[in-house]
Amino acid sequence: MGVAGVAAEAAEPTTETGRLRRKRLTPWLFVAPCLIVILLVTIFPTIYSLGLSFTKWELTLKEKPFIGLGNYIALFQDDRFLHSIFITLIVVVVGVGIELILGFGLAQLLVADMKGKRIIVAALLLPVMVMPVVVGYTWRLLWDAQYGPINQIIGWIIGQPFTYTWLAKTPTAIFAIIVTDIWQWTPFMFLVFLSGLAVLDPEVFEAADIDGAGGWDKFWQLTIPLMRPIIIVALLIRSLDALKFFDIIFTLSGGGPGNSTETISFYIYQVGYQFFRLGYGAAAAFVLLIFLAILLTFLLRMFRSATEG
Amino acid sequence: MNTKNMKMLGLLLVVGLALMVLAAQCGATPTPEIIEKVVTVEVEKEVEKIVTVEVEKVVEKIVTVEVEKEVQVGSFSSANKAVEVAKELCDGVELNYVREAGLQAQDPLAMAPIWKDLTGSTVNVIEMSYLDMYSNQLQDHLTGGGSYDVGDVSPLWMQDFVSTGVLEPLDPYIEKYMNLTDLDDYLPVYSAEGVMKINGVTYGLFDDGDVFVLYYRKDLFEDPENQEEFNAEYGYDLAPPETRQQMFDAAEFFSSKYAPDIYGLAIQRLEGQAYSWFIGPFSGAGGQFFDENMQAQINSEIGVQTPAEMVQQNTVMPPGVEKWGFMEILSAWMEGKVAMIITWPIGRWGAGYGDTAKQMAWVPSSTVKGQVGYMLQPGGRPTLAGGFNMGVSADGANKECAYLFVQWMTSPEISLQRVMLPFSLRDPYRKSHFASPLYRAAWPEAPEYLDKLQEATTGQWELGIPGAREYMEAIDNAVTAAYAGKDPQEAMDEAAARWDDITERLGVDSQKAAYEQWLQNPWNRPGSEVETP
Repeated sequence: MGVAGVAAEAAEPTTETGRLRRKRLTPWLFVAPCLIVILLVTIFPTIYSLGLSFTKWELTLKEKPFIGLGNYIALFQDDRFLHSIFITLIVVVVGVGIELILGFGLAQLLVADMKGKRIIVAALLLPVMVMPVVVGYTWRLLWDAQYGPINQIIGWIIGQPFTYTWLAKTPTAIFAIIVTDIWQWTPFMFLVFLSGLAVLDPEVFEAADIDGAGGWDKFWQLTIPLMRPIIIVALLIRSLDALKFFDIIFTLSGGGPGNSTETISFYIYQVGYQFFRLGYGAAAAFVLLIFLAILLTFLLRMFRSATEG
Repeated sequence: MNTKNMKMLGLLLVVGLALMVLAAQCGATPTPEIIEKVVTVEVEKEVEKIVTVEVEKVVEKIVTVEVEKEVQVGSFSSANKAVEVAKELCDGVELNYVREAGLQAQDPLAMAPIWKDLTGSTVNVIEMSYLDMYSNQLQDHLTGGGSYDVGDVSPLWMQDFVSTGVLEPLDPYIEKYMNLTDLDDYLPVYSAEGVMKINGVTYGLFDDGDVFVLYYRKDLFEDPENQEEFNAEYGYDLAPPETRQQMFDAAEFFSSKYAPDIYGLAIQRLEGQAYSWFIGPFSGAGGQFFDENMQAQINSEIGVQTPAEMVQQNTVMPPGVEKWGFMEILSAWMEGKVAMIITWPIGRWGAGYGDTAKQMAWVPSSTVKGQVGYMLQPGGRPTLAGGFNMGVSADGANKECAYLFVQWMTSPEISLQRVMLPFSLRDPYRKSHFASPLYRAAWPEAPEYLDKLQEATTGQWELGIPGAREYMEAIDNAVTAAYAGKDPQEAMDEAAARWDDITERLGVDSQKAAYEQWLQNPWNRPGSEVETP
């Protein structure tokens, strides 16, 4: 073998290695722009704000000292923050719960073919297409004490002028907020359940009919178990959304009266962007993130067991 | 269709037309009447449009010429100087000016084209809500800045803006370009420490004399039947109220007699700025914000009594008043649905001054023209609520041009034009504004109005120390919680605890030093009267 032959033999594996390396790198090159954007707009801010949550950064203070878990400890001693968690949970449990029941009921009613179904479905979906800020301002007018249609209708029913100020009293303010949220998001639940019910295998129900199962039995023994994965996905989407509930609170009650209708997101907005307590606000945001992660894990486990079952 | 039919049709048409003309001439049928009405309405509209536009032009011309003649402060005009220098330095420069959205923005939107014509510099008016003006300007600075050149800054926010470096010190520019006698033209309340200045350094030129005044319906108060009935019920004469008890009695009387057509009283109660109506009565009754150790005193007896009285007042106001903001109060007043209101200076609107301006088209026309009386906020001192300085952003790329624009806008002659614009929300703040014969002749009750506004400047400023926004929000929460039924003592205790927490977080010593500095301004010191220098 000449010198050239040895060189060619030696070069071959190198070319092979280079080719392999290129093959391995090529997919990364394709996803690199996307990764860079994610790193810049998601990962970096998340890590940065995590670091921020361990500092005492107040608007008017020159220094930003590291205080470890100080902000987190202070948060769980802060009545206002704990109250905002309570309000958020009320919105999630009561609001999303009622949306689930109403959405399922409406879907059951409209799953069968009926006259005018298309128009009814389209009309039912309108609220979900409106921006939450617009919904908030619209319902603010509806709840108005003097000129609001809600009080007007109640006045007609009871036969005398009714001028209750729904949004200025604590119990009714949270009630009004939940009603508004239900009005906007029940159609979403309805749509998800309608599409789920529409694809259920009719043979299963026919078999149940032959076995003599009643309507109620079919609902509990067939419809609900078959719909379980869809119910969990709907719950997952709505609960994650409701935990970040902000727009309607901002426009409808402004967190008031007092701070009785503040949710976690509203509280974070106040602390971070109105009072510029940036370290404390970042810590509160991470607590919300942890809540979201716990809920997500829990619901995904339920989803997995439902689909595997 | 054959020729015969065509002829018949033509004949019928001619006969029909002739009959219509005849009927129109006779004027006996209803059709011509309708046409006449439509034409009349159209003509009226057109005339009104022409008259409105012409009147606006004439008023603008008169105001400009007369104001220039009238204001002769000092040896040279700061406005002319600003224009002269800006022509050289700022031709083609774009300035971004942060201004409250809505009516507040109408005045710079009207003035910016004039500035551009004079200097070649463009001013973009960036509109946002009152509270966003605070957070957006700070955010812009904290994130590198440069988006804004000029900003409206409430005295309440000055400490926060100065300590974080948002604002550029203006003294070097003032010395260089301003006729210094213009500074003496400010009412002292508006040029004092803590308003335009922080620790003796000027960071803004004051531009909006906001103070609360009570407006009342003379026709209702002077009605003999009302006077007789009131006296019989309350045992004293019905008169414009000087105390809070008198105000409540009068409001209760009118509400019980006229509601739902007319309610006795309406005061803005909406969350966000509810604290402004706490400050005056609290301070006027002798309430102190802090003790010598910087412990909050807002839950003192006076501090609890103040929201308790506010809750009581709500019972004689229109239903739902807890959610009423400025516009609801203004609309109710203009429509004659309330006997008394306490709000910012809106006297010219109630008087119907300039209500043909197109910018005012969405505000109801005044039904109380000629019937409006003015009083100080009863019982205690009026709140010097808000107001604005025009400041220059320390991060702006064109600070000198920004300053020149601020100097021009706030100069005696230009500012008089602006506070007299029918659609402006800027209110008098210079001695020359209050003394202006032109302004005093603007409507019959204008002298009475201007005198009362000037008298009201013995009021109390809102707390303007670092963290002011947060301190005020705590009061806002307490007051609105009290409206919702919370025990005022409990609500104010919670607010006081929050105040102590804020003070501790920001540093007791530094807050104490800032508070003591703030108290140097006589209008910041709580008490029933101001000890002016």
